Amino acid sequence: MAEQHERLSLEHILHEFEDCADLTRRNFPEIGADIVYFSHTVDNLLLINQVLDPLSALQRKKELEQLLRESQFVRVTDSKTAVTGILEGGVAVFAADTVHLIDVYGPEARSVSESETESIIAGPHDAFVESATTNISLIRRRIRSSHLKVIHCSVGEISKTDVYILYIKDIANLAYVQDLQQRIERIETDAINDGGMLSQYLEDKQTSVFPQFLTTERPDVSSSKLVSGKILVLIDNSPTSISAPASFFEFFSSSDDYYERWVLGTALRLVRYVALIITLTFTALYVAVTTFHYEMIPEALLLTLAESRNRVPFPPVYEALLMEFTIELLREAGARLPTKVGQTIGIVGGIVIGQAAVQAGLTSNILIISVASSAIASFVIPNYLMSASLRVIRFGIIILAGIWGNMGLVIAIAVIVIHLCSLSSLGASYLVPVAPMRGRDWKDVFIRAPFSLLLTRPTQNRTPNPIRQKNRK
Amino acid sequence: MVNKIAGMLMLVLLLTGCSTDQRILDKLGMVQTIALDQADGDKLLVTASIPVIDPNAELKREILQAETNSVKEARLVFSRQTDLRMVSGQMRELLFGIDLAEKGLWKYVETQLRDPSVGFSVKLTVVDGKAGELLAAEHKPHADTGRYITHLLEKEAAGNNIPATTLYEFSRDYNDDGIDVIAPIVADGGSKVRVTGIALFAGDRVVMRVPVKEGLIFALCRGNLKRGEAAINLGDTIGKPEVVVFSSVTSKRKVKVHRMQDGRFKVDLYVSLQGSVLDYTGERTLREEKDRHELEKELSLSIEDKAEQLIRQMQQKKTDALGFGQYVRGRLSYKAWKAMDWRETFPEVEVDCRAKVKIKDYGKYM
Repeated sequence: MAEQHERLSLEHILHEFEDCADLTRRNFPEIGADIVYFSHTVDNLLLINQVLDPLSALQRKKELEQLLRESQFVRVTDSKTAVTGILEGGVAVFAADTVHLIDVYGPEARSVSESETESIIAGPHDAFVESATTNISLIRRRIRSSHLKVIHCSVGEISKTDVYILYIKDIANLAYVQDLQQRIERIETDAINDGGMLSQYLEDKQTSVFPQFLTTERPDVSSSKLVSGKILVLIDNSPTSISAPASFFEFFSSSDDYYERWVLGTALRLVRYVALIITLTFTALYVAVTTFHYEMIPEALLLTLAESRNRVPFPPVYEALLMEFTIELLREAGARLPTKVGQTIGIVGGIVIGQAAVQAGLTSNILIISVASSAIASFVIPNYLMSASLRVIRFGIIILAGIWGNMGLVIAIAVIVIHLCSLSSLGASYLVPVAPMRGRDWKDVFIRAPFSLLLTRPTQNRTPNPIRQKNRK
Repeated sequence: MVNKIAGMLMLVLLLTGCSTDQRILDKLGMVQTIALDQADGDKLLVTASIPVIDPNAELKREILQAETNSVKEARLVFSRQTDLRMVSGQMRELLFGIDLAEKGLWKYVETQLRDPSVGFSVKLTVVDGKAGELLAAEHKPHADTGRYITHLLEKEAAGNNIPATTLYEFSRDYNDDGIDVIAPIVADGGSKVRVTGIALFAGDRVVMRVPVKEGLIFALCRGNLKRGEAAINLGDTIGKPEVVVFSSVTSKRKVKVHRMQDGRFKVDLYVSLQGSVLDYTGERTLREEKDRHELEKELSLSIEDKAEQLIRQMQQKKTDALGFGQYVRGRLSYKAWKAMDWRETFPEVEVDCRAKVKIKDYGKYM
């Protein structure tokens, strides 16, 4: 507060930005004007057209006063506004005893390119970049409606990062919008660097392993979420957008389900749910069966399984944990390395470790198959955060299966289901449309019905306008 | 909250101490087949066959033998002979020597039924001779005789001629009123194991054997067949050798019970059989409709004859393996049924068999 009352002057601003070597100051002696800005946050072309050229053309102070009366120059009176203005990409013009700000924001940004983490085969390939304004433009380009509203907030006591809440008036539920806005405004932390990080601050239960908001870097997914009545949050300097509210099953749908024929879309969805079951339980089932329930093994498989276990010196739990851990090591190493080296890691891991571990008698063949298929199944799940969460949970299930067999497996699944039931996303149930039961939504959750049947928006969004498409007959 | 989590962790750690019920696959001796024989005195000769897991081992199975008073006691004796933990959860086959089968099997079957790790689909087979010897004998190229017998019977049961009897079926038929147990009989045929017929029980004792060549007639009378193959020999009926081989046989049986004036029961057994002729060695031309109908009639007569003969034998031995009693029971009140001793009444029943054969098609090329 004290700062606001301080006299606004060039000296004061320079004092404020003391030791900021990247600050640019230019002097126009003919008209007695000074300009101060950060050259890397301004758009050079704009700077030349809007500020440098007009100012150099001036000969007398009178003309300067006239120029500053134009609407792009905003008069500021307190130093705090001036400082923020300069930080946000403005140029401060000090003339005589007045100070004006002109916004020529335009920092360097990566150009729009393909998404690395969420690539699809058919459909648009563009992905969000690190500039929120570019990201909003990608959305606006897809939704040309004045009803698309953008609320601006900022988070981070130090970083002051821009956050934009996007929603479509008359389709999104305003109660959700308000709730989300309040949650964003309540955040008190020094800096937030990414959408994934922001989403954790906004979640209903931050301690849960499951992501409670859907994060994506695909503008086509984001705009379809907006149109279905969800709210989108974009944060500057991050390509990750958050859409809310989200349900558990949303993480298993991918945008190309809608771009391909409905039969294929449905089949792929079912494949992903099967992948969910495989990734959670397959290795655990192997452990349970080989440790406790030898009765369950079919006759034809019995000898093969027993033979492959024959030389393994550890109990099945340790064997399974060892291999699962190795796969995680490989995955993490592959993710950290450049693509070309990453391939080498894949070969080393796949062939050398897989084959050699079996030959050395450290693990059984069938375990390798089960661990590998669980790992592959986890990569089938389109959302990276969800698939990572499931991979972590798997370890718990394997340990429980090693302690109590199938009983442990069932306990683990029960605990997961109970936990999922307790979750909510922006106050809406996380398990919609299963609990509470919303039969109408099933045709767009477990299968992807033909568009002629997808007439309504998802009930979870509590949209005031649930009809998506009139029934054509 | 912290206390709760600590409590849970303690529970998890402490309960791992209780996991002595671990049965790690490669440390188990999984009994595949048990053969039971009568030994000297009242003792049992128990033979167990355990598959050897090591792929490099020369022998693919291990045979353990013990003379004990009970099957479960034998398990204890066995575990003193092997480095593996003996379990019975992968048992597929129970073989009973004929001596034992003629004295009664229920107590041995019951012990298995009461063991929760033994499945209901364990097969139960009577061995003509010593079961233990059959199991211990080698039948090349089959490395594991127990497994060989199991698969042999499975295949036979799929072809409809010889029924495979499971533990479940045995106990169901044994405990049910108005039907008797049956089981396949196998015998050592030198280098091969042969299926030689069907054992019919009265209670839990084998009293009669149906030879393999009558297996089809027995199967037709006992239930409905699907997708079977059948060879009917007309030689006995018409005096000269003539064989009709059917494929894709479907048959239905129907039982009707009447009460005759003198209070005895009369059972009408209707058997209808349909199939396509695969082979025919007689002189008729199947192309002619008249000839075909005549052949159908002859076949029907032959089936009727053989069936009635078979049932007469069963009546003499007092075994109602076809389950006529169940239909009689359906005609009576509970009291009247309970008051009657069906085993004694069954021989008095008059049985009339009517067969109807239909040739669906003929001349099929394989």
